Amino acid sequence: MLQHIAHRLLISIPVLIGVLLVGFLLLQVVPTDPATVVAGPTATHVEIEAIREAMGLNEPIYVQFGIYLTRVLQGDLGRSMISNSPVVTELANTVGPTIELMLASLIWAVPLGIVLGTLAAVRRGRMSDRIIMAVSVAGVSMPIFWFGLMLIQYVGFHWQLFPFQGRGGPLWTLSGLDHIVLPALTLGGVFIGPVARMTRTSLLEVLGSDFVRTARAKGVSERRVVVSHALRNSLIPVVTLIGLQIGFLLGGAVVTETLFAWPGVGRLAVGAITSADYALAQGAILVLALSFLLVNLLVDVLYAVLDPRVRAR
Amino acid sequence: MTETSATPAPFLPNQAATGRLLRPSIWRKLSRDKAAMLAAVFLVVVVALGVLAPWITPYDPYDNNLRNMLKPPSAAFWLGNDGLGRDMVSRLLFGIRTTLTMGIIAVAAGGSIGAVLGLLAAYFRRLEGPIMRVVDVLLSFPSILFGLAIAAVLGAGTFSITIALTVAAVPAIARITRAAALVVMQQEYISACRAIGMSDGRIIFRHLLPNCASTIFVYLTLQLGQTILLGAALSFIGLGAQPPTAELGTMAADGRNFLFFAPHVSTIPSFAIFLIVLAFNVLGDALRDVLDPRLRQ
Repeated sequence: MLQHIAHRLLISIPVLIGVLLVGFLLLQVVPTDPATVVAGPTATHVEIEAIREAMGLNEPIYVQFGIYLTRVLQGDLGRSMISNSPVVTELANTVGPTIELMLASLIWAVPLGIVLGTLAAVRRGRMSDRIIMAVSVAGVSMPIFWFGLMLIQYVGFHWQLFPFQGRGGPLWTLSGLDHIVLPALTLGGVFIGPVARMTRTSLLEVLGSDFVRTARAKGVSERRVVVSHALRNSLIPVVTLIGLQIGFLLGGAVVTETLFAWPGVGRLAVGAITSADYALAQGAILVLALSFLLVNLLVDVLYAVLDPRVRAR
Repeated sequence: MTETSATPAPFLPNQAATGRLLRPSIWRKLSRDKAAMLAAVFLVVVVALGVLAPWITPYDPYDNNLRNMLKPPSAAFWLGNDGLGRDMVSRLLFGIRTTLTMGIIAVAAGGSIGAVLGLLAAYFRRLEGPIMRVVDVLLSFPSILFGLAIAAVLGAGTFSITIALTVAAVPAIARITRAAALVVMQQEYISACRAIGMSDGRIIFRHLLPNCASTIFVYLTLQLGQTILLGAALSFIGLGAQPPTAELGTMAADGRNFLFFAPHVSTIPSFAIFLIVLAFNVLGDALRDVLDPRLRQ
């Protein structure tokens, strides 16, 4: 088990360096001089040059990459060009809301997707299967912003059931819960289709296997066969696939946050890019990429925990 | 989104699946699938509308007329007018044109690069390790990150988004092509080509590529839907086509400001994106089922 985790950590290192290199290069190619930004608008040429020297911007590019790595490892991602506050502080304030939104979406969409996928597999070929699968394909084809816009228009505006702008505070407060409903419905809504589809495929495969036939032959009830024998085994690949779809969820989160003015990393990144705040944009993209790597790593480990065969490989 | 978008169900090419797209039996089977046929006809009509947009639109899509601002559908303006009084039919047709162009260029470019990488990885075993590692890394990142990173460098706009969509299309096609090419590589005719001293380039492009073409084609169809969805999402959040360009995602974002009193402005382009992506997904799924029946679960 430990060996498996160590192996996975080792192969993440080159990817990690690649991500950091891309983050570094992002700042190299943009048409802004970091020294000028740090010095401020009233700085003289001599002052800018001194800052440039102090920041190591006159060094060869590989040395600069080394300096950049050291700074990132120390948690220094520079300063936002607009608010002039440290990028790390800005990011620290937004990571929480993004994680909150993603969890709030997963918590209802994954169980519902699994239930729908199971229903479709058990009633394979029947009307309910066809309807569930048609809805699932439609869900995969749905622009997430349209789903969100419809929720805002009807649930938020016409029926006035839930607020649709911003975050209302921590989740344990009523206002916090109220505000997260529509964003979480939007983001989770597009996730049901893929989960249902994966569960159905995986369950169909397991339902055709020998141990299911044995269970049926010894007279186990159909409900028990599906729930305790087949579903448990089919969930292993589903867990991995859900993990792989976290990237898809992250993409959806960027759009959802922008749509609902949710103060997360995605909205921060989009805002930074459109206002040409390069240091902040780079920091936000870096955090998104790194958290994605981390989730992949966790899913891999979880997979090994769930399925002993992976460890033996 | 999305990869923003959900990845389509994996398409694993098998021996039977490669090199058969042009067989009449395939088309016969496909023509029995009503949903797929409907999707195909719909896409042909949509592409034709996009191509012919400059000649068939009733009004100039960029012609502001504030007197018609946010008018609902009427006899003169079939789909109503947007926030600047522009005709929605004309903007929709031009929007389809921009959105499809972005998607098709990105998938064609990304698909070509991916296909070449996949063929090289399958043919030259020495290249396989390095190519596939890079492909795996690219594949492991959410496509939206490419969009964000490239827009950060090049600035928001149609050009940077097309590049981002291209980059996002490369890894999946490379992987699928490699898998298909590895199957073809087992065939005797490839050994025969080698035996008669044919050059590597000729084997790859005259024999390997045509026999993987159907697999690549099916996947490109599925990829196109996802690419269009991602492009529209990026435009919606303001990183893609910039106003006043008529592009479906940008138009939907435009309509957001009038959502409560003129919902048609954002609903019409959003619904168009949904139908186009749905058609590509249905057609892609049907093609995959016909070419590889083992996956029709």
